[in-house]
Amino acid sequence: MRFKSWRQSRPLWGSVITIISGLMILWVPLNLYLSTFLPGSIAVIGLLFGGLITMIGLLALFFPQSAKILGIFTMFLSVLSVIGALGGFLVGTIFGLIGGSALIAWRMGSTDPDEDDSVHVTEDPVRAG
Amino acid sequence: MREKRQSVQVKGKTNKKVFWTSFISGIMLLAVLLVSIGLSGVAYAVPLAGVGDFYVEFDKLEGTGYTFYPKMGETSSEASAPEGTNLIDKLTITNLKLYKDFKVGDQWIRVKITASKPVQITGLQQDASLIQANAQFSDLVLKENYSNDWTKQFKQTSSKITLGSAKLKTHYLFQKTINMNGMKLTVEKIDKK
Repeated sequence: MRFKSWRQSRPLWGSVITIISGLMILWVPLNLYLSTFLPGSIAVIGLLFGGLITMIGLLALFFPQSAKILGIFTMFLSVLSVIGALGGFLVGTIFGLIGGSALIAWRMGSTDPDEDDSVHVTEDPVRAG
Repeated sequence: MREKRQSVQVKGKTNKKVFWTSFISGIMLLAVLLVSIGLSGVAYAVPLAGVGDFYVEFDKLEGTGYTFYPKMGETSSEASAPEGTNLIDKLTITNLKLYKDFKVGDQWIRVKITASKPVQITGLQQDASLIQANAQFSDLVLKENYSNDWTKQFKQTSSKITLGSAKLKTHYLFQKTINMNGMKLTVEKIDKK
């Protein structure tokens, strides 16, 4: 029950898909580096974009009120990651687009109980003394 | 005495309409990017500086607007080494092969880029310390100039240049635009003493 309320108060799926996308984008430049030690700056761009997308996914979990702007950043970075990291062979980019769209589309329910039925007010009797 | 405690539970929602709108916009953005850089095969302003001492081989080069002058430039092993700068305005290369060998531990690794189709380049600058080729020039001019700067004392120009079976030891390569259709990049281990 506690997990359910935690999950419902933040864009869980959008964040998880965004984190997976970031890790996929990171995978390509990391492999390039470990196997060939190629000099050049392009793989560094891939590391940067992959790292940023992973971080945005984590941030969206802890700052759900900023989900919309974080989603826009995710989409922008995942499209650009095609240059330099091949966008995790495009699968990472597609995941980034899905995760980013899910973050953009996520809305926090209103805190006014009369306005929205997504807010539940529970009344528990409490002993006061 | 009893009082009531209110716990407010906020529930998030995903707006499907917004989701699909942003997802389709993202896919369109990706398509525009892929069409502009991927399918045309054109990469803009490609410098291969700092890589140093790599080899360029090809079967045939046809170019217009050729200029050559000597200079001192850096290589991967020396800060300053004698080189020659080749400038060509517009050229087409058939069977281009570009490779560089790296020593990783005890073994050599060769990074090779080949293009199976003719490569079109504009605005080429290439610094080389060795050029081996069968060369043909049109309107060839070799000229000495009076200057305190030794790199300006000699200049070679021609309106047209054709090179066959060439091997160039290259230290710097810059192209304003390059169109590489049928490009292949391979990284392989080689036997080298």
